[in-house]
Amino acid sequence: MSASTQRLLLTAVRMPTVTGIAWRPVLLPVSFAALVLLAWQELTVHLHVSSMLLVPPTAIWDVLSQYWPILFAQAWPTLVNTVVGFLLAAALGITLGGAVVVSRRIEQAFWPHILMFQLIPKVAVAPLFIIWLGMGPSSRLAFAVFLSFFPIAVSAATGFRAADRTALRLCQSLTASTWQTFLNVRLPYAIPHIFAGLKVGATVAIIGVVIGEFVTAQEGLGYIIMFASSAAQTALVFAAIVLLCGIGLMLYGAVALAEWFVRRWYGAPISVGGFE
Amino acid sequence: MPSAATPSRERALTLILPTMTAIVVLGFWQLLAKHWSIPAVILPAPSDVWQQLVAAWRELGYQACFTGAEAVVACLLSGVLGALVAAMLASSRFLRDMLYPNLVAFQLIPKIALAPLFVIWLGIDSPSRLVFSTFISFFPVAIGALTGLLGTNPNAIRLCQSLTASKSQIFRHVQVPYALPFFFSGMKVASTLSVIGIIVGEFISSKHGLGSYILLAGSRAETPRIFAALVVLCAIGLALYGIIAWCELCMQKAWRG
Repeated sequence: MSASTQRLLLTAVRMPTVTGIAWRPVLLPVSFAALVLLAWQELTVHLHVSSMLLVPPTAIWDVLSQYWPILFAQAWPTLVNTVVGFLLAAALGITLGGAVVVSRRIEQAFWPHILMFQLIPKVAVAPLFIIWLGMGPSSRLAFAVFLSFFPIAVSAATGFRAADRTALRLCQSLTASTWQTFLNVRLPYAIPHIFAGLKVGATVAIIGVVIGEFVTAQEGLGYIIMFASSAAQTALVFAAIVLLCGIGLMLYGAVALAEWFVRRWYGAPISVGGFE
Repeated sequence: MPSAATPSRERALTLILPTMTAIVVLGFWQLLAKHWSIPAVILPAPSDVWQQLVAAWRELGYQACFTGAEAVVACLLSGVLGALVAAMLASSRFLRDMLYPNLVAFQLIPKIALAPLFVIWLGIDSPSRLVFSTFISFFPVAIGALTGLLGTNPNAIRLCQSLTASKSQIFRHVQVPYALPFFFSGMKVASTLSVIGIIVGEFISSKHGLGSYILLAGSRAETPRIFAALVVLCAIGLALYGIIAWCELCMQKAWRG
């Protein structure tokens, strides 16, 4: 494609269409992804890349369609552990984030430790959970909770502290109870932060389950990945990764959807914003 | 309430209270392990962990050299790669529109699951761990630096343009200094992620490093050794974070001076 046609095409893409949708931000990345997939397919087939190293996307699709009963059976425990672990971590994290803002002393006593736990490589603790809870799903569940709890707690606490000072003072002067203030002022202000933390927590929860399955498991997609990679069945590795990505995107999408609903529900008080 | 306490007392409390929490937790842990005679396999007392650290410091230090060196290199690589990607995306709107959504979508998937692939591609030696660790940790740097580069005050850029500054001059003297804090906040995230990447790589296949040490000790149920290795690992993580925070401070001074 010559430079001038490219420019012409680009201006065409940039033009708002009749329906009013800007196509450029959608079309460009999608076509780029399609191009990468195509190049992947063509290069692996034409350069005769060993199927142990890299398999073309069509081969991954073949494995997915051929072995889907087995793959889905293995995806189920991973999905359940991830979702349950994430929900537990969310409940714990938001509760602790709220507890921290109740008292300045609690905050001073615990906050530095929580921040430090954010910095250390918690992944390395995985074998301890297996010693404590055995090889079953409970150790992976607990590990996922442990990993995804911290980002949620930190962003929840940040959110609860982000409330407008004047709004808090107004509540005090109107003799609102701590609980009322928390529910009606602190919580709405914290919602964007909480959901930012939940989005991180969702990705981290899967990572926790997968690492648990890497270290020791007889089931789950992480186990499939480990098993298939040691047998050099790269197509199977990729198929399991595709399913894991599906779980990841699904969980993230669920959190984003929940955020949309909650924001709409709480929308009015947030958009009113200033109280002066 | 802050109004009741004087500022100096408040400052002392922010130091004393967390220290006290740590002491209380450690003391309780020691009591729990020693007096309720919980077996050391389940939970070794802090004193046991300390003894293990002292007894095996040679072995631990040797293993920590592998993990630490690889984590530092991976962190540096992700810094360079992240900055390059950010500069590339900031320079062209076309590239940004094309690549940015794909990069973000990539961030949502559990990239840790790709670790065994890197072993297949690059073997079980340190290159595979370095590449994997860089792969998972460059992203926050790229996003951070890009946010900074694009968020530069447009008035400052317009001023430079009207003073006939070239594009590269604007980039160097306006956009880069503005983006530095963002870059460093990305680097701080990358410092933790790079250690995680190395550890996961060592879990999967390695003969050296603290990750394989922990896994080996775990399979032998030698819990005090796991804890000792974890202490060293935390030290590595905190040191890497500290180095980056220090670099940020130096850079800030250099640019302001």
